[in-house]
Amino acid sequence: MPAPNGSNPVKLSLPLEYQQDLYKELNLEDELVILARGLGLLRIVTNLLHSFDAAGNNLVVIVGADDRENGWIGEALAEQAAISRSPAARGLSQVNTDAMSVGTREKMYTKGGIFSITSRILVVDLLSRLLNPETVTGLVVLHSERIVATSIEAFIIRIYRQMNKGGFLKAFSDNPEPFTGGFAPLSTMMRNLFLRKPSLWPRFHVTVAKSLEGRKKAEVIELEVPMTDAMRDIQNAILECVEVSIGDLRRTDTGIELDDWTLDSALHKSFDVIVRRQLDAVWHRVSYRTRQIVNDLTVLRSILHALLTYDCVSFNKYLDTILAAHQPPPGSNRQNQSPWLFLDAANIIFETAKRRVYTGKTVETEVPENATKLPDSLRPVLEEQPKWAVLAEVLDEIDRDAYLNPGLRDDSNGTVLIMCSDRSTCRQLREYLQNMKTQVQRKSEDNAQEETEAKPSAEFMMRRKLWRYFGWKKAFARVSAHLFAEQQKALEGFTSVSDKQGTNGYRGKGPPNKRRRVRGGSAAAAGGGRPVNGSMQVAEDKESQVASLMADIEPNGDEVNPKDDVAVDDLEDLEDYFELFEMNDLVVVHPYDGDMDEHVLEEVRPRYVIMYEPDAAFIRRVEVYRSSHDDRNVRVYFMYYGGSVEEQRYLSGVRKEKDAFTRLIKEKGNMAVTITHDASANDPQESFLRTVNTRIAGGGRLAATAEPPRVVVDVREFRSSLPSLLHGRSNIVVPCMLTVADYVLTPHICIERKSVRDLISSFKNGRLFNQAETMLQHYKYPMLLIEFDQNRSFTLDTFGTDHTTSSLKAENPSDLQSKIALLTLAFPRLKIIWSSSPYQTAEIFDELKKQQEEPDPIKAVQVGLIAGEDPSDQTFNQTPQEMLRVVPGMSEKNLSRITLEVRNVAEVSNLGEEELDVLIGKEAGRQVHRFFNRSVFDD
Amino acid sequence: QALPSRNAPSAILVSTRQKGNPSLNYIRSLPWEYSDIPSDYVLGATTCALFLSLKYHRLHPEYIYSRIRALGHKYNLRILLTMVDIDNHEESLKELSKTSLINNLTLILCWSAQEAGRYLELYKSYEHASPASIRAHQSTSYADKLVEFVTVPRSVNKTDAVSLVSAFGSVRAAVNAQPEQIAEITGWGEKKVQRWCETVRENFRIRK
Repeated sequence: MPAPNGSNPVKLSLPLEYQQDLYKELNLEDELVILARGLGLLRIVTNLLHSFDAAGNNLVVIVGADDRENGWIGEALAEQAAISRSPAARGLSQVNTDAMSVGTREKMYTKGGIFSITSRILVVDLLSRLLNPETVTGLVVLHSERIVATSIEAFIIRIYRQMNKGGFLKAFSDNPEPFTGGFAPLSTMMRNLFLRKPSLWPRFHVTVAKSLEGRKKAEVIELEVPMTDAMRDIQNAILECVEVSIGDLRRTDTGIELDDWTLDSALHKSFDVIVRRQLDAVWHRVSYRTRQIVNDLTVLRSILHALLTYDCVSFNKYLDTILAAHQPPPGSNRQNQSPWLFLDAANIIFETAKRRVYTGKTVETEVPENATKLPDSLRPVLEEQPKWAVLAEVLDEIDRDAYLNPGLRDDSNGTVLIMCSDRSTCRQLREYLQNMKTQVQRKSEDNAQEETEAKPSAEFMMRRKLWRYFGWKKAFARVSAHLFAEQQKALEGFTSVSDKQGTNGYRGKGPPNKRRRVRGGSAAAAGGGRPVNGSMQVAEDKESQVASLMADIEPNGDEVNPKDDVAVDDLEDLEDYFELFEMNDLVVVHPYDGDMDEHVLEEVRPRYVIMYEPDAAFIRRVEVYRSSHDDRNVRVYFMYYGGSVEEQRYLSGVRKEKDAFTRLIKEKGNMAVTITHDASANDPQESFLRTVNTRIAGGGRLAATAEPPRVVVDVREFRSSLPSLLHGRSNIVVPCMLTVADYVLTPHICIERKSVRDLISSFKNGRLFNQAETMLQHYKYPMLLIEFDQNRSFTLDTFGTDHTTSSLKAENPSDLQSKIALLTLAFPRLKIIWSSSPYQTAEIFDELKKQQEEPDPIKAVQVGLIAGEDPSDQTFNQTPQEMLRVVPGMSEKNLSRITLEVRNVAEVSNLGEEELDVLIGKEAGRQVHRFFNRSVFDD
Repeated sequence: QALPSRNAPSAILVSTRQKGNPSLNYIRSLPWEYSDIPSDYVLGATTCALFLSLKYHRLHPEYIYSRIRALGHKYNLRILLTMVDIDNHEESLKELSKTSLINNLTLILCWSAQEAGRYLELYKSYEHASPASIRAHQSTSYADKLVEFVTVPRSVNKTDAVSLVSAFGSVRAAVNAQPEQIAEITGWGEKKVQRWCETVRENFRIRK
């Protein structure tokens, strides 16, 4: 352990006792620190890093930091270096893209300093000895809750510990919940981390509690805001939909376990995640319908969230979009549609959401012609979010408070800080604050409206929104009609018969699936009447949509028009959250942003904090902030909707964290100290003997005389766990940039690895065919590895599918089996390996490598390259390529041409037809051009 | 006992050894007949299949090797249709993977007699099929393509795709839109906006 403070004393910024304790402890020992959220984990990490940075001659690597954390750490290191005036400090260097060349990286590593390296690059550099593990002073692992035995971070730690026994290793996490699942999770985690001592710092830790509560506590005022009746109705309806969807899931024979399911738990659990996790094991086997229901759950949860955060107009707009996106493909029957849309509850959701925006008199007849009579009866309602009024009140109170107690000035600014969950809420609040007074003025001029006291109101803003909404809706109806019309045209080709049946047979009955859609868009249904004569869905939909739009727009015309001139732009620039409010005082609206919030508090120094939405971590941050500064008073207003998802989520979040810590403390108490891994890691001879033993037991040659087994692995494959397992089975893993195949086992055997999900998608877009083709060109024994996940069921069969003969047609191979058959028929020489897990794969690889020559990495790299090509030129980003592959007219050849010549997707979209013609030919060029430029508004 | 008919190219030839194999009950859409052949099934002029149940393989590990020997070097595509009917399949599959490599067999796993029957049907019916359907992307309607295109970046779903394109009018406009503009759309949170903008502006090629 290098002494952090050598000649130059390092200045730390850890004012609180628990922070200092933790820092001291970290300096003495390697350990896993689990700190409660909001207690400033990153601050401790940066202070620790700074002490190494200031010492100057260290090479410390940070593993697992994300981009924003890197920014934060970098900033903090620079700041601290300036404060403690340490000349040796060099700040943070980041290695996070492949764009940094090997040479540059090597140079950087030899210079030393604090590095934050993307795991995938780090593991390659460690394996290729670009970064010699022995030169590393220490490893700092962030987000250690994410590490599992097969993860790439665990792999990094293993390599590091094998090569470097002396360096320090410190792991951090501020998320205790994941540590509590499964059997003895803490000790498993410790084993993965090669650490022995966990250090737990919950909020109820004595020192923590003392530091935060000892001095003057922050003043907290809780405000429970009731939801409006309409909101509660919608929430209940959503919950009902959730309930029914879950019931549907239970009925499918997937054996899903939801014993403790109650309607209430829908409020505070991320139920879609739970369901998805349970189904994960059999995901590739569940039927289309099950998958659809699970997706529906996600949609429902997002509606639940939107209900509380969006204003009523945006919420209605969001529902409109959902409805449009869930329109069934043409020719499909009820089977293919989301079941929740058929429920009465869904009807309530859409109805009520609409009624929050505007109402019209109930129209008994639903003939579209009657729509012309509607205009007089439609009027805007524009329900405001209840929190808005409370917010205005609180601001008012703060105003008065500041006016009455001007003497109570301390170190903090007179600033009001409003915290909310995300940026769109920020925008909404900003707009509200801006406009809440505007309305008052307008009202006093305009006596036609009912006069109230000069009370802040969002009416002005909401009217503007409504006006825009109608504009949008008109355009949107055209879009969906247009998209839909195309499908309709395609359909007409071969289902003219069923079409006719549709118009005739359904008339007068209204098949159940039509009802829902009618209500979504038509004025006729706005009154809640059930259209009895749902005729052919497409025709009616268009007509009624247009009719309803006409009706909607007209009555509002005169209300909207005068506002035309006031509808100025609403400060588009996102960075600018600051605006003048009252005299010189600032109101700052800011979204919660993890550890960044600490910064915000320090910078803004608010006298008042309004938490527009609850967030447990932020409360602690305020506590920490308050206790760190003696002379700053803070008053916190804390708002939440009573009996809502929001409240439940907050409460259960706090409870879960507490439970997690309690369990961890218990486990720590009876945890057997494991020294075994250290012993084995310390003894190179033992690991060598193990190698020898396995080799001989396998019936192979003598390991002592032969060279150690070697596998060439494509660098992109390091995202998967297989390289780590191969390394664990004492293979030498050689990371290379491979053009052909993913793994090269022997000079003749190459392997393309596909998980089941990859397999499906790469069959779909033709990628696998091309890969198989090139493998066959260059290797004698090309193999396709179909790898199933460790915990997933090892089968391709789908639940309850009946293989009907109709799907046997060669033109329409739909299932995986038929595609595999086609592939093997096309490439008889291609062999298939079926593996039930990465562990099994590693064993099979060993078996295949027995008695074979070792592969030559240099040759493997050159395979498939045109002479003179640099292998490093061949690295591509996957996602943009995937996108391009979907574009019509994009064959594999065209794709590679474009990816070589054009920079990115945005550039491709801006190419003219002539330029595309030059690149990929006339026909394909025309198709690509049309895809990007076709307007969805007109055809 | 049906007489072996040499010129029945439309039927699957089945070795008499396979009598009683439940998979035969599931070959429904194609004719099949018993024949005197070295393999278990003949599925085309150059395609044959051997059938192996892992349960049997565990009891008689030498069986399949004798069959492979008997097969010699005949046929171009030689399928080893393996029924996984035991739980501890790891060892056997490891062995068979190696065997398939040495003896030029293509290993195909199935988990039920039904699936086995389906594979047999598939191979026979695709005897002359072109691999077009797995070779390139299958064309679908513009709306589908559009949704598929937009939903490639993670966490962007169908609803988002529709709202995005309808807000900007065309795919091109959506691709070129600024993050601030996209963030205005309901449903598009920060993460989605960031992912989308990054992906469309990310270079195809990582240049040095």
